[in-house]
Amino acid sequence: MVELDHSFSTGKPTDYNWEAILDLDRLIPCVQGGRVVERTSPTSAKAEIKVKMGAMAMTFTGTVEVVEQDAEAHRAVMKVKSREAGGQGHANADVSFALSDGGGTVHTAAQITGKAASMGEGVVVSVLDGLIKDFTQRLEAI
Amino acid sequence: MPIPAGRYTLGPEDGTLTVRTGRTGAASKAGHDLLLEVTSWRATLDLDGAEPAVALTADARSLKVREGTGGMSALDDGDRANIEQTIDDEVLKGGTIEFRSRRVESRAGGEALWVEGDLDLLGTRQPVAFDLITGDGARLTGSADLRQTDFGLKPYSALFGTLKVADQIEVAIDARLPAGEAVR
Repeated sequence: MVELDHSFSTGKPTDYNWEAILDLDRLIPCVQGGRVVERTSPTSAKAEIKVKMGAMAMTFTGTVEVVEQDAEAHRAVMKVKSREAGGQGHANADVSFALSDGGGTVHTAAQITGKAASMGEGVVVSVLDGLIKDFTQRLEAI
Repeated sequence: MPIPAGRYTLGPEDGTLTVRTGRTGAASKAGHDLLLEVTSWRATLDLDGAEPAVALTADARSLKVREGTGGMSALDDGDRANIEQTIDDEVLKGGTIEFRSRRVESRAGGEALWVEGDLDLLGTRQPVAFDLITGDGARLTGSADLRQTDFGLKPYSALFGTLKVADQIEVAIDARLPAGEAVR
């Protein structure tokens, strides 16, 4: 299990951030290579992420679901479950958002298995950290 | 054996011009060391007069992946095509590759040429120096290490900056001198 913490600022009011985060059609494309494949309910979606590794790419397909939301505290937890397309690997994560006026924090608890994990935990942490940093930068413009 | 005096023109039909790249970064295990061949180039070796000269131009869109070592799995044809596309679109962008010597000095009894000159890479000109070994008088080999950042190039990176092409690359030539052009 890899746990990472990041913060972001949007310069926008909490209510705006709250609505934006919970709108999976806006949130998922903020992950580089991420796209919504199908909306399955107001709080869930089938999605995929394509991670480019130079010449090669790994695609993970799965679901993103808002499993907890506290509108008063502006906290939400999303569960990501995905499987490597054409492979044996999995990438699962619980992503917790805590919003405040002008931004918020993201706590990620991820489990990666398969080919990506075979590079070692240090590499997985570096890549995930890069991915989430990039994600939080995109959140700033959501 | 020294190269006989004369003027020589060389291209891909006479040998290979290659570029070797390495990788760096936390996720370097995910990438490949590449051997790229420049498939369209022209070099001239003027050893006829008092001022010998060496020049080379290469087509930046002609690089082909010949080997990829390392990585989590072997490169397939699609991966190779992706790399070539990335070089064309994001790295060299079809820019200028042109070398002209300023000084060529015969060494080791004529079996080597020490070449100093300027390489124009995508509009940035920097001094480069290397040995050309003539061996048996008919074969020409040589290599030069270059740093991409010296030419204002940002080494290609992926995986959120955790996988990067190393700044230093090696450019090498290995060719046979074409017959019949040596004596003028």
